Amino acid sequence: MSSDAVPLAVSTRQTEEEFSFQRYTGDRSRERAFYLGPSSEGPGQLERCIREYYSVDALAEWLKNVGTGYKDITLQFPNSLVLDSAIVSRQLEEAVSGQQKRRFWVLADTAYSSCCVDEVASEHVASDLVVHFGDACLNSIQRLPVVYSFGKPHLDLDVVMDKFLYTYTDKSAKICLMANSSYTFHLKSLYELLTAKGYTGLVYTDINSELVNDQVTVLDFAQSQEYNSHNKLLHTLENRHVFGSDTVEPINSDSSFQEQDYHLFHVTVPQDPHLLSLTTIFPHVSLYDVQNNEVREGPFPSLMKRYKYMQLARTSSCIGILVNTLSLRNVKETINKLTELIKLNGKKHYLFVVGKPNVAKLANFEPIDIWCILGCNQSGIIIDQINEFYKPIITPYELTLALKDEIEWTGKWVTDFQKVLGSIDEGIKEQEEEQLSGNGDDDAPEFDVVTGTYISTSRPLRELKRLNIEAPSGSEKSLTKTVAGGTVIKGTVSTSAAHLHSRTWTGLGSDFQNDEEFEEDGAVVEEGITGVARGYQFDRRDAERKNLEK
Amino acid sequence: MVAFTVDQMRGLMDHVTNVRNMSVIAHVDHGKSTLTDSLVQKAGIISAAKAGEARFMDTRKDEQERGITIKSTAISLFTEMSDEDVKDIKQKSEGNSFLINLIDSPGHVDFSSEVTAALRVTDGALVVVDTVEGVCVQTETVLRQALGERIKPVVCVNKVDRALLELQVSKEDLYQTFSRTVESINVIISTYADEVLGDVQVYPSQGTVAFGSGLHGWAFTIRQFANRYAKKFGVDKSKMMERLWGDSFFNPKTKKWTNKETDTDGKPLERAFNMFVLDPIFRLFAAIMNFKKDEIPVLLEKLEINLKADEKDLEGKALLKVVMRKFLPAADALLEMIVMHLPSPVTAQAYRAEQLYEGPADDANCIAIKKCDPTADLMLYVSKMVPTSDKGRFYAFGRVFAGTVKSGQKVRIQGPNYVPGRKEDLFVKAVQRVVMMMGSKTEPIDDCPAGNIIGLVGIDQFLLKTGTLTTSETAHNMKVMKFSVSPVVQVAVEVKNANDLPKLVEGLKRLSKSDPCVLTYMSESGEHIVAGTGELHLEICLSDLENDHAGVPLRISPPVVAYRETVEAESSQTALSKSPNKHNRIYLKAEPMEEEVSLAIENGKINPRDDFKARARVMADDYNWDVTDARKIWCFGPDGNGPNLVVDQTKAVQYLHEIKDSVVAAFQWATKEGPIFGEQMRSVRVNILDVTLHADAIHRGGGQIIPTMRRATYAGFLLAEPRIQEPVFLVEIQCPEQAVGGIYSVLNKKRGQVVSEEQRPGTPLFTVKAYLPVNESFGFTGELRQATGGQAFPQMVFDHWATISSDPLDPTTKAGEIVLAARKRHGMKEEVPGWQEYYDKL
Repeated sequence: MSSDAVPLAVSTRQTEEEFSFQRYTGDRSRERAFYLGPSSEGPGQLERCIREYYSVDALAEWLKNVGTGYKDITLQFPNSLVLDSAIVSRQLEEAVSGQQKRRFWVLADTAYSSCCVDEVASEHVASDLVVHFGDACLNSIQRLPVVYSFGKPHLDLDVVMDKFLYTYTDKSAKICLMANSSYTFHLKSLYELLTAKGYTGLVYTDINSELVNDQVTVLDFAQSQEYNSHNKLLHTLENRHVFGSDTVEPINSDSSFQEQDYHLFHVTVPQDPHLLSLTTIFPHVSLYDVQNNEVREGPFPSLMKRYKYMQLARTSSCIGILVNTLSLRNVKETINKLTELIKLNGKKHYLFVVGKPNVAKLANFEPIDIWCILGCNQSGIIIDQINEFYKPIITPYELTLALKDEIEWTGKWVTDFQKVLGSIDEGIKEQEEEQLSGNGDDDAPEFDVVTGTYISTSRPLRELKRLNIEAPSGSEKSLTKTVAGGTVIKGTVSTSAAHLHSRTWTGLGSDFQNDEEFEEDGAVVEEGITGVARGYQFDRRDAERKNLEK
Repeated sequence: MVAFTVDQMRGLMDHVTNVRNMSVIAHVDHGKSTLTDSLVQKAGIISAAKAGEARFMDTRKDEQERGITIKSTAISLFTEMSDEDVKDIKQKSEGNSFLINLIDSPGHVDFSSEVTAALRVTDGALVVVDTVEGVCVQTETVLRQALGERIKPVVCVNKVDRALLELQVSKEDLYQTFSRTVESINVIISTYADEVLGDVQVYPSQGTVAFGSGLHGWAFTIRQFANRYAKKFGVDKSKMMERLWGDSFFNPKTKKWTNKETDTDGKPLERAFNMFVLDPIFRLFAAIMNFKKDEIPVLLEKLEINLKADEKDLEGKALLKVVMRKFLPAADALLEMIVMHLPSPVTAQAYRAEQLYEGPADDANCIAIKKCDPTADLMLYVSKMVPTSDKGRFYAFGRVFAGTVKSGQKVRIQGPNYVPGRKEDLFVKAVQRVVMMMGSKTEPIDDCPAGNIIGLVGIDQFLLKTGTLTTSETAHNMKVMKFSVSPVVQVAVEVKNANDLPKLVEGLKRLSKSDPCVLTYMSESGEHIVAGTGELHLEICLSDLENDHAGVPLRISPPVVAYRETVEAESSQTALSKSPNKHNRIYLKAEPMEEEVSLAIENGKINPRDDFKARARVMADDYNWDVTDARKIWCFGPDGNGPNLVVDQTKAVQYLHEIKDSVVAAFQWATKEGPIFGEQMRSVRVNILDVTLHADAIHRGGGQIIPTMRRATYAGFLLAEPRIQEPVFLVEIQCPEQAVGGIYSVLNKKRGQVVSEEQRPGTPLFTVKAYLPVNESFGFTGELRQATGGQAFPQMVFDHWATISSDPLDPTTKAGEIVLAARKRHGMKEEVPGWQEYYDKL
């Protein structure tokens, strides 16, 4: 009996010869200088700058005084800041070393969107507290307590001012200043500077203080609250509060910004979904790109395209629910309600979790007509701007609009799960009432406004009620059964089985049997290709030959 | 006073040999509807006095107001022939009663699709030509379409009164005009006629051409005059017919017939046609119009015309009308021509069956169509939807080709995408009611046997525009109609009030149903688009949409043009794309496809649904394709039937067939939205040269192949000198000589290219034909009117796609400007991505 366990040869041998790894060659100090500021480039400055940037002292202070009970603490960094994780965790360990034993874990490569707290990854180490670094969406999560450290990125306010003056020449214009959560702390100084320049219609935003509670802590929050108290709270906009001086006319709480005609000046370029929702709230949006110090005014994601997708969803038969978050609150409820609504509409759905979604992963599921993505509203929703995805992706809100009997388009883009749940409930009620009244129309095809054709397959489950579902008897050999309503496997209508039926390649028999010179005998086995995909052996041969020719 | 009952007509439906299904087709304003009136009047549906003015077949208010036909309208007419006439019918018939199902179609080029829909359900066509204007662009278009559908034509040369009264031509001149018109029609017929039809040219001496005036309600054929004179001269009627047309002369001195223009003394002789046919007409005209009171009664007596007391007091044009109508009633001449020379459904379906049916020719349903068998399984083609008085509901209008359709009968309703054995686009429903279409009215009947045109109630919600109804579970579809016009002019519509959105969508549905050709869809950027064949078509569609179908106020964008993306050369290098996992590679090249092949695909001559071997044969024989290539066509795109092809040119690639479905899906996607500015591709052939696939099935699934094939197609496309194509109208303008200069200057300004300029012999009219980019055609009519003092009125019909020669990727060129503007409008990045974006290095 051999005692050594030999690993299975499951993959191609990889040696230095086969692969030349791409080595990381970037200049880190240059990279860091962008957000830590130019002073970090001096010798020995890095430690100090990072400590300041992440408010490590404040965090340590909080752990010592408030969060004394937390033993296993996970530190979550977005990909762009992971390079600082080692330094931060060391500084933290040093700062709290005197007390009881605490363990720090670094979470990198967040499964879904980096702005959300990755609860699932934290649970892998049974952590009892998450410290989230960098930009955050502040969406509430299921159960873990969170400490947010947004960071204090460097920003040259003089440059911003110059660009601002250039963009808005009318000093009485109504303008709202906004930034992502990291850059938000600059807004107050910017607000002061600009007001001093004579702008009278300015308002600025800060983190919504209602989001801070015993489970959620934001570092250095008290100072900014202190400043805000000098101004008037005008409006609440999801995770932001809008402040302004007393002279600015108050914003009616139930009217949106659109009616108030505020222009938005947003420092940093928000992710597509967030940007889209901002463009639906503000009549005009200018973005300040901190990377290149320039103002961008488009092109932004278009809401009209969402309208088209919503129309597509009306006639699609098979909906893929793509779960792109596991920690956000209300996700499970939304999934359950959504599937109920889809079923009531006679459409088929499948539920997917694919990790980080990409084009190839989604295109693998060919029977899906449209995807419905559940994710963080700041960056977890895919907005396909260049049509690279095979099938369109919509949000739960858009899906509920599509599943209404009467076409409706509000011009709003709702991503908050709580609100979406409300509209799903409405939809379910509407469908149930209709079924009770027995008014469910017969199997007439539906008109698809997108293509201008009739679609007869938009409700594959509609026939379900009429199907006499029976347990497959022992003698029955076929797995699927074709009935008037569709293809049935074990008593459920399966659109994917129907899709497989429609393929020309069935996987059985020879591909060549329709050819005239088809021979029944098998072919002689030939040697196939060897090597790895990025360079098969014949590629190497070809390359060598080319070299020789040169 | 209706001269027949519904029961009588229903009875005739069973005697299919005595049924004639025919459409009236012509250029705009050549007098179809007016001529049809005289037929309708003969049947007793409108009074004789109103015939010529009533336009009974124009059922819509705007048709009456504008004086043009917009929708085709059907009516069933009943007629009786004399025993003598019945004897002369060369096909089988029984009894003297005949049922004529007539469809009056619009003449304006923008509504050609209505003509196509009418032709599909008829077997014969009455082609109406204006004596003065002669054969015009739309005459040719509709005649070509008719022949393509294997429809037999007869001709009526109309508005002879204009030649007599306005132009005051001589008899010989008129003969020459007639003869030239007949000749130019025969040129068209011989060019486009299907061999199966045999000789379908028209000959006045055989009675397949009538001459007359719809407005005055008179017309004649040579046969009618031959009838009169045969007795007088005591010669055989058919011989007489020969003598009354062409180079045949009568010498009154010798009482001899000759084919020389002069007698033995060298004195000119008068042509028999002029002498026997035209002379009485000319004399009547001269006498009545010159108010020669004493001459008129003599003439009338000679011609055996009896006037009623009150009619005797009339004079001038009114008298002329009454006299001519009694002398040569238009309905008699036309009905005789229709009944005698147009085929009955039994005759016609024998040769039309295989062209109408998608399935194999030896299929039971095809044989039933061939025999026009009323006892077989039902085969019914719905060619269009006719709005009912009940808003939002439609009659399904079509023809029974085999079997019998009954009220209450359960039928299989097969939409255009139905494939035998599958369930998409298939519904089993009962027909609520069967109705006979009588202009704007309908008459319910119990059932309708094969060979007749019919309206159905209660199945409209299952068909959008067209479809096949059958009772056979194995029946294939009837072939889909191909239109000669394309909806290339489009506008975006939106509601003024957001709450009206559901009404707009419902309106768009109704609009698509009610018009065979209009397209409604959504653009890339999410706008609702309505696309029509021309400005007039769109105007009518939009006013219907706003006032009728949707009934809500709309905002309508200025018209824009649909473009296509194509290539000019073969890809300069092999395009390679790797799958996201890098394990699969697709090597391909794009190349331009011959214009003839693209046209053949668009016209349905090369059909993706055909058997691939038969299709390959056609492509090899008629289009010089390599047979192996033609057999290895994987798919057509976009929508599975467009003019772009994927050809498999790989050698011995393992698992290749496994990825075919993914490649096909990707190609549909890629050709639907081209890389330049998201327009459809056209005339692009993609040759897959080689494919490398991972050995594990999971690594070569759709997720890996679909995006890769799309990228590879884009890369190959962009490497092959990409170009854009714009639609081009053929413009025909008839005008007096002095207006020609103005036409040229307007055409020049609008990038127009003059194709020909001809004077119409015997008239001061000039015909200018030119190509005009659709993009420049907006407002063309108005400018032309201004430049020519209102003397020129253009007819514009989509002719072809023209490649713009400049580089669309360079924003400084003409093509580049168009692309840039469109990209901006659609909110795309302004710069067109380069091929490198889609190309993967080895």
